[in-house]
Amino acid sequence: MEIIEKIKTNKSIDNQTEIQKICLDKLRSRPLPNPKSEQWRLANKSKFSNFLDYPVNEKNPKFDTPFPNTSKSTIRLVIGNNCQINLIEKNYSIQQLTQDELDKYIKSQIFCFDQNENWSDLLNLSLSNAKNILGLKINGSKIPPIEIFSHSSGNSLNAKTLVIFLEKNCDVELLQVNLGKENSSLSQLTYFCLEENSSLNHGVVSYGENRSNLLNSLKVIQQKNSEYNLGSLHFKFDYARFEISIKQSDGYAKTNIKGMQVTKKDEQISTYTKIEFNGPNGFLDQINKSLADDESHAIFEGSIIVPKIAQKTDASQLSRNLLLSNLAQIDTKPQLEIIADDVKCKHGATISQLNEDELFYMRSRGITLPEASKLQLSSYFQEIISFIPISKDRWDLLDKLLNEK
Amino acid sequence: MQSKMKESEPILEVENLSASTDNLPILKGVSLTVHPGEIHAIMGRNGCGKSTLSKIIAGHPSYNITNGGIKFLGENINSLEPEERAQSGIFLGFQYPIEIPGVSNLEFLRVSTNARRKFLNKEELDTFDFEELVKEKLEIVKMDHAFLSRSVNQGFSGGEKKRNEILQMALLEPKIAILDETDSGLDIDALRIVASGIKKISSAQTGIILITHYQRLLDEIKPNYVHVMSDGQIIKTGDSDLALELEKKGYEWTDNFIKET
Amino acid sequence: MVKENLVKDVVKEPYKYGFVTDIETEKIAKGLNENIIKLISQKKEEPKYLLDFRLNAFKKWQKMKEPDWAGLGYKQIDYQDIIYYSAPKQKEKISSLDEVDPKLLETFDKLGIPLTEQKKLTNVAVDAVFDSVSIATTFREELAEHGVIFCSISEAVKNHSDLIEKYLGTVVPASDNYFAALNSAVFSDGSFVYIPKGVTCPMDLSSYFRINSGDSGQFERTLIIAEESSSVSYLEGCTAPMFDTNTLHAAVVELIALDDASIKYSTVQNWYAGDEEGIGGIFNFVTKRGKCLGKRSKISWSQVETGSAITWKYPSCLLLGEESVGEFYSVALTNNLQQADTGTKMIHIGPKTKSTIVSKGISAGNSINSYRGLVKMGTKAKGSRNYSQCDSMLIGDQASANTFPYIKSQQPNSEIEHEASTCRISEDQLFYLQSRGIEFEEAVSMMVSGFCRDVFNQLPMEFAAEADKLLALKLEGSVG
Repeated sequence: MEIIEKIKTNKSIDNQTEIQKICLDKLRSRPLPNPKSEQWRLANKSKFSNFLDYPVNEKNPKFDTPFPNTSKSTIRLVIGNNCQINLIEKNYSIQQLTQDELDKYIKSQIFCFDQNENWSDLLNLSLSNAKNILGLKINGSKIPPIEIFSHSSGNSLNAKTLVIFLEKNCDVELLQVNLGKENSSLSQLTYFCLEENSSLNHGVVSYGENRSNLLNSLKVIQQKNSEYNLGSLHFKFDYARFEISIKQSDGYAKTNIKGMQVTKKDEQISTYTKIEFNGPNGFLDQINKSLADDESHAIFEGSIIVPKIAQKTDASQLSRNLLLSNLAQIDTKPQLEIIADDVKCKHGATISQLNEDELFYMRSRGITLPEASKLQLSSYFQEIISFIPISKDRWDLLDKLLNEK
Repeated sequence: MQSKMKESEPILEVENLSASTDNLPILKGVSLTVHPGEIHAIMGRNGCGKSTLSKIIAGHPSYNITNGGIKFLGENINSLEPEERAQSGIFLGFQYPIEIPGVSNLEFLRVSTNARRKFLNKEELDTFDFEELVKEKLEIVKMDHAFLSRSVNQGFSGGEKKRNEILQMALLEPKIAILDETDSGLDIDALRIVASGIKKISSAQTGIILITHYQRLLDEIKPNYVHVMSDGQIIKTGDSDLALELEKKGYEWTDNFIKET
Repeated sequence: MVKENLVKDVVKEPYKYGFVTDIETEKIAKGLNENIIKLISQKKEEPKYLLDFRLNAFKKWQKMKEPDWAGLGYKQIDYQDIIYYSAPKQKEKISSLDEVDPKLLETFDKLGIPLTEQKKLTNVAVDAVFDSVSIATTFREELAEHGVIFCSISEAVKNHSDLIEKYLGTVVPASDNYFAALNSAVFSDGSFVYIPKGVTCPMDLSSYFRINSGDSGQFERTLIIAEESSSVSYLEGCTAPMFDTNTLHAAVVELIALDDASIKYSTVQNWYAGDEEGIGGIFNFVTKRGKCLGKRSKISWSQVETGSAITWKYPSCLLLGEESVGEFYSVALTNNLQQADTGTKMIHIGPKTKSTIVSKGISAGNSINSYRGLVKMGTKAKGSRNYSQCDSMLIGDQASANTFPYIKSQQPNSEIEHEASTCRISEDQLFYLQSRGIEFEEAVSMMVSGFCRDVFNQLPMEFAAEADKLLALKLEGSVG
């Protein structure tokens, strides 16, 4: 699999930005993540290779909104569709980052890239051109909810990048929606910087159509007393990978994560999370759910890193998995790496099918097996969905998960 | 009075039933017939097979019927799914009601009630009509409305769980109710509430099987028949006096029956 | 009030097994090549199939790379700088204990393992291994009456060649991993146990491994076969003198349990761990694996790992037989600059198989203590269950504790449950104990031994007490 060869075949590489050039060079020197590395050993090689089978999409086609209507108060942005925003209101402001600010930030990130851990980011930044990078800084209070869309168009490989700075004391609700068109690949890279005392309720909903692929990478830096809540849902991708990296840079921050991936047919969806505590008194509560049906494969790997400086960290991570078919498989690996002694860390993992006692109880009350399963599944899903902020109801997520083939 | 009952068609006929789980025989030829209006009590030591009998009647998938069969309203139900049995009017009150986190009690009750109503060709109830119906039935078991918004049995006390069972029985209006140790873990007040609930719900058209260790539930609900089970068999059948005698003499007394048989 | 250095002091007990026995030994030249392997095989008068087994393993080993996935930090091992065969010089054939060099007997005496008829432990049969050879096995006649074979593996090669040829390398093939391949090429001695059909072994069997020379590696090999409906409890203990060089220990243990058989394998590992600066100590790279071949067979590992500079060890179970059971109970304590990477693999292949994992890691000083485990439900493991619990206790803010559980399921009708937690000895708990008049050190060791209780309960009686003491000694001076 010659990644660089694949990318090079696109004419579009001519007018690259400096960042694109740097990243392409890096990719050229070590084109592929090491398939034996922990982050990539379970990746389905042929599916992963398919990701690069499409030509890079340069022009953004007209974007018709297949999405439910937004309420008036919600701010809706579509990355790549000439989205310009410069809102300065009495209580708050949402402004675009200058090119300079953006470049500087992204370069500082590239500097500390690791080939296996940041391969998706490298690919993203080598492909996404200025039009497909959105940078925002948000300030103030009573900020209206924000929806940000990334989408791929058919028969192409698309890369979108989002950088958001939450300035001190601001409080934001943001739903990110990633949509994969039939036969397409989407690479999404998102950076959040939460300054002191800021808080973000972040939702990520990603789903595709037939034969769509997704590499979704999310990097969050939390300063003191910030709070980051993430509710995420990934389903219906031939191949999808959700990489989350959260760093509490000085401790004293709170992170809550509730994520879920649902795989059917022969799909492979994986979630990799890395939470680092770089200061004392950090808090983490994480649950990741997987459901694997048919011949699909769901993967979760989570690591929690608590160095010596992170005394009084309180972290818990739970991986709950439902395996519904004889041909499906689930891998999970919740890991703790701890050096500090005064910490409370725990993790747990379960893999099972739907609880038989519960099913029998419902059936003994006349509820049919499919209905009883649906009731159980909907409660399984609901815990995650209810954590996804804003407009989740309009998206009929539960209905999509329970009823879509 | 009793002879009159016998003339009517039986609700439930268990015929020489043998069953096993994981190749381990649990029931070894049990026969039992319940007619409308009858209350049967099944007593016996732990592990004698009485709970298994109730689960098999309800269709629990862990057990295999190796011999004999179960007839409900004259039809053999050996191969029916548990939900089909429930919809047609068989109710099992669980000894340990299952907690189902995340599934709301109200939704659970509504879906199951409607499944039964559909079978009876009754109109299915929407949320509003159903709430009306539930309100009425809550009275029977003296339960608070707040129970409905919680997850099924989750965080319920022992007594609350058992009352929730009787509430389900009231909503489903079964032809036969098998109550597996519904009295265990209840204090005397809760026991009265549960017992009076059972009496209110049952009628001359329904049958009841009470599975219990103790006399005290039978003080509240007087059975027509008392069966004593041991090692997967009914070893003695009598009237309510048998239960009293058993209470007095203990299960050791019944060991003699086994020797006799 | 809990003071840092006070707790540090609680772990400083000198290693009391660090003496060297001055005895004339027969050593072969340093280095590893085909000729060395042929020489070892020749010295042991081995049949051809075994020499072929060794040479084949050596070929494989040469093509393999030393594993680095555990991320252990240690000075590269020079495999040409090790002596692969070292034996105390004795008369050609020893027919009774009286002919064993008294110095050797004295050595084992000092280690608390008396071998002579008058003093030998009751109810435990001991096979004592000194460097590369087994020097004595007690209670042989008594065991023979029950048909139980308990002898050194060299002897088994001579007297029970059919069993060796049939089973050796069937659980841990030579190509399994780097250290197993090395062991297969050069293994010197070890124990062999055969429990015939229907026999419950009348006493615990035990091997005691002693490394004496500083420049020779120890490569023992143990094979235990439990025939249908038999059962055995086997204990293993290890010590080594203090040298400022690192000594390599690469053992292989294979267990085979047939229908309804049960094997309980307990280890108290107290190899020399190196000094406070991390100088010296044993590199302990061990492959232990059991095959539950038969229906309802059971293999249970319990281990107390306190020694070695580096421990790399994953006693595992292959659960093939229907309803077979695998267990792993482990306490691993690291202090100073010790590194332990230990855990287990439970591979559920057959239906209705069950496994339990209980792992307790205690890290003090600058040590690194990692649990690494794999639980896998194969496609045919219908109705199987696993429960794992991995707890870590950290003592001092320089120690690290890691948990890496790999969990994989391909069978919906199976259940896997894993729990892990990290804690430390809380000041409140210590204060509570102290306020009841319990000395500080006593309180710490009570807490630690309470933390390990679930595992100690699995150890045979004689071992449980020893393990408790060992832990208290090791911990002396480390709690703060």
